Amino acid sequence: MYEQAMSKIPLLISRSKISTEGHKTGEWRFVTPSFKEKTAPCRATCPVGEDIPRIGMIASRGLIKEAWETIMAENPFPCVCGHVCFHPCETACNRAFLDESVAVHHLERMIGEAGISEGFSASVLKTPSNGKRVAVVGSGPSGLSAAYFLSMLGFSCDLFESKDQPGGILRWGIPAYRLPEWVLQNEILRVEHMGVRIHCNTRITPERIGEIMDNYSALFMGYGHGRSVTMGIPGEEMAADGLDFLLEIRRGNLPAMDGIAAVIGGGNAAIDVSRSLIRLGAKPLIIYRRSLADMPAFSKEVNAALDEGVQIMETAVPVRIEEEDGNLMLRLQKMRAIGKDPEGRSRVVPDDSAPINLCVQHVFTAIGAQSDGILNPKEEGNDRAIPLSHSMFTLSKIPVIYGGDLTNAKRSVSDAIASGKQAAMAIDTYFHHGFDAIRERLNVSRVGDRDPLSMAIYLETDRASRSPKVISYSDINTDYFSNTPRHIPQTIPMLRGELSFMVKEPVFSLKEGVGEASRCFHCGICNDCDNCRIFCPDISVSCVENGRRINLDYCKGCGICVAECPSGVMELEEEQP
Amino acid sequence: MKHREGVPDIDYLYPGHLACPGCGAAIAMKFALKALGPKTMVVLPASCWGIIAGAYPQTGLKVPVMHTAFATAGAAASGLRAALDIKGDTETTVLAWAGDGGTFDIGFQSLSGAAERGEDFIYACYDNEAYMNTGVQRSSSTPYGMRTATTPGTSWKRTRKKNIVEALAAHRIPYAATASIAYPEDMIRKFVRARSVKGGVRFIHILASCPAGWRIPSESAVKVTRLAVLSNLFPLYEVKDGLHYTLNMEGNRPVRPYIRMQGRFSHLTEEEIERIQEMVDSDWALLKEKANCKQISIK
Repeated sequence: MYEQAMSKIPLLISRSKISTEGHKTGEWRFVTPSFKEKTAPCRATCPVGEDIPRIGMIASRGLIKEAWETIMAENPFPCVCGHVCFHPCETACNRAFLDESVAVHHLERMIGEAGISEGFSASVLKTPSNGKRVAVVGSGPSGLSAAYFLSMLGFSCDLFESKDQPGGILRWGIPAYRLPEWVLQNEILRVEHMGVRIHCNTRITPERIGEIMDNYSALFMGYGHGRSVTMGIPGEEMAADGLDFLLEIRRGNLPAMDGIAAVIGGGNAAIDVSRSLIRLGAKPLIIYRRSLADMPAFSKEVNAALDEGVQIMETAVPVRIEEEDGNLMLRLQKMRAIGKDPEGRSRVVPDDSAPINLCVQHVFTAIGAQSDGILNPKEEGNDRAIPLSHSMFTLSKIPVIYGGDLTNAKRSVSDAIASGKQAAMAIDTYFHHGFDAIRERLNVSRVGDRDPLSMAIYLETDRASRSPKVISYSDINTDYFSNTPRHIPQTIPMLRGELSFMVKEPVFSLKEGVGEASRCFHCGICNDCDNCRIFCPDISVSCVENGRRINLDYCKGCGICVAECPSGVMELEEEQP
Repeated sequence: MKHREGVPDIDYLYPGHLACPGCGAAIAMKFALKALGPKTMVVLPASCWGIIAGAYPQTGLKVPVMHTAFATAGAAASGLRAALDIKGDTETTVLAWAGDGGTFDIGFQSLSGAAERGEDFIYACYDNEAYMNTGVQRSSSTPYGMRTATTPGTSWKRTRKKNIVEALAAHRIPYAATASIAYPEDMIRKFVRARSVKGGVRFIHILASCPAGWRIPSESAVKVTRLAVLSNLFPLYEVKDGLHYTLNMEGNRPVRPYIRMQGRFSHLTEEEIERIQEMVDSDWALLKEKANCKQISIK
């Protein structure tokens, strides 16, 4: 019945047979979107150039091993740095404009501890051996880092250390409450697993240098500053050396102390000595020639010291130490500021007041260290020398590279690691492309237009095409990030008298770490959110093997993909006529 | 490559369609068809989409489309549904897809009739708040304060936007909801829900920005609809059987940034924006009261 009825009614409904794909609506466009990954401010500030936004992105998905490998591409010491790095990345973090910066150091420490407890191996990053041998002098952070990266690049490394255990400043200069020994032990062990041979109790004398030059292809000098600077005042011999004191503590000698201990200096060593003293029962008093704001110590460390009860006397210098009734009489001259020095710190001169006498039980000096040097780069008279940001490349019989504290303007663990990495790149470039290529190859391996060098960029494995533009807060679409406070691992409450040499700050749980990583904006890198494809009104964004592609035949250039990109990866450019 | 959960991968739009750059209505259709899939027939009355879908013999959609007269989306969809039923095809979903003119004004009678009869189709209104296709003439969906071709200069529209969801809810239809192109997962979930609900017309009211008519840069088309939601000016909610309200999220931003980013409101003084804020606040309070405040599920 139905068919019969239908067959009798002529249905003249016109039917479309072709699609609108014949309209190449791309012709309407006058601006063109494109994908261009950019540089995150954290990474551009990180001395070792860690790919922090990628680490944050990977960790937010719970992929801790992959996050760890991403760190290891740039830094052999995730856990050490998670503990001791002064994390300039967090100061640069764009998230601070929304709520609080991402707790990168807590995250790094969690990933680093997972690397140790899970026994992750970095040997996947190793390239095949190139048959060349490099000698490394000094097993501090710069030497270990140089050896690690040289091994990664296929060199065979011998590392020489004068003391009985490797680690340098990490082992002898940083107290255990900042860096536990097991962390150091395990991360050094992993450098050895890369194939580095560490020779302890081997002091390198000038004669040994000759031998090394005969037997090795290159030499890295990273023996650092092991000898304390002296004050040159009467009675100085009654003061104890701060660095020796820290070393004794790391050796396990924990003398009970009491009374007032004056600590001369304003750097991290002075803080470390004071915080160690308070743990042993003394009442430390830091005496610093300039004002508190001028102290070269990291402000986080200064604040921690003040919290623990360390006292600080500003603008005073010792002029004499005398013994008096079994105590020490410290004579101090008060100073006053007259303008600034070129580094922006106050310039001080003695004021007109009479010297103060201070009765103390101990005096420690921590006013800085110098190299107990074997060779001095400046005295070598090499006409073929390249001063680099974190090292000095010189060419004598073999390439000799100086690094670490010997050359670094900023003496931090991260800068020392950066130095070892730079040296490894310079050596590798020298053997592959020659002396003249070093500057250029290092220049293109920089993160953004800044100083940090990236091994991943050097090896051109990863994101070498990232634009040097550093993402600012205005590039982020904050509609996609809601206010979430920074995760803080619960600090174990401790009373003042209970300070110990244990690390006080607990580590993130996995859940806290993943939660904190999710706060990361992933500045400048694609996090696969798919917004560009989802919101495209013109079905012109598609997924391809290595990301996404824009079909310019149909893209009308509306720019929604660019506006809705949370991380500033996309950009619009005006069409050229 | 990660695809987003809650957003089906396949699109049923062809590129080359004739929407303006940054068209919110195109994005709305994209999401609706992602949700409804290939077993869908679309009824298009006169509207922007009558153009976007392409002139004969072209089509911009991978599913069948029936173009129909301005006033008849509700009636044509009823007829299409009946024809499918006669053929024994109960699987195909009929989607009436009309603009605000075809819904709030010209097509209101046929929609109201179909809703009252309890017809089985989804009616989606993509609302760009004026007759954009013919040159931005005011409709009864045009909001207070907007300048259009027919409310120009100092004669900008001084009456309120018609509350179409309330009007449809009053028909006691099984499902009515609002959606915004800035919230794809939410919109897709609502279309999937509308497809499964039976027993009458399912109505979805979508705020779909129009860069040309709203006088905004085309790249802000999504952002502006997000701000409408975040300021509670266009709240996301669902009404079951015309009685049971569910609020999907609560915004916490003032309306000022939403108003100030659009050229169509550029003549408004701060006092007038304050008046809009008061209207939004009282509408939101009323809506919360209807939802009995208990069913807010913020996603």
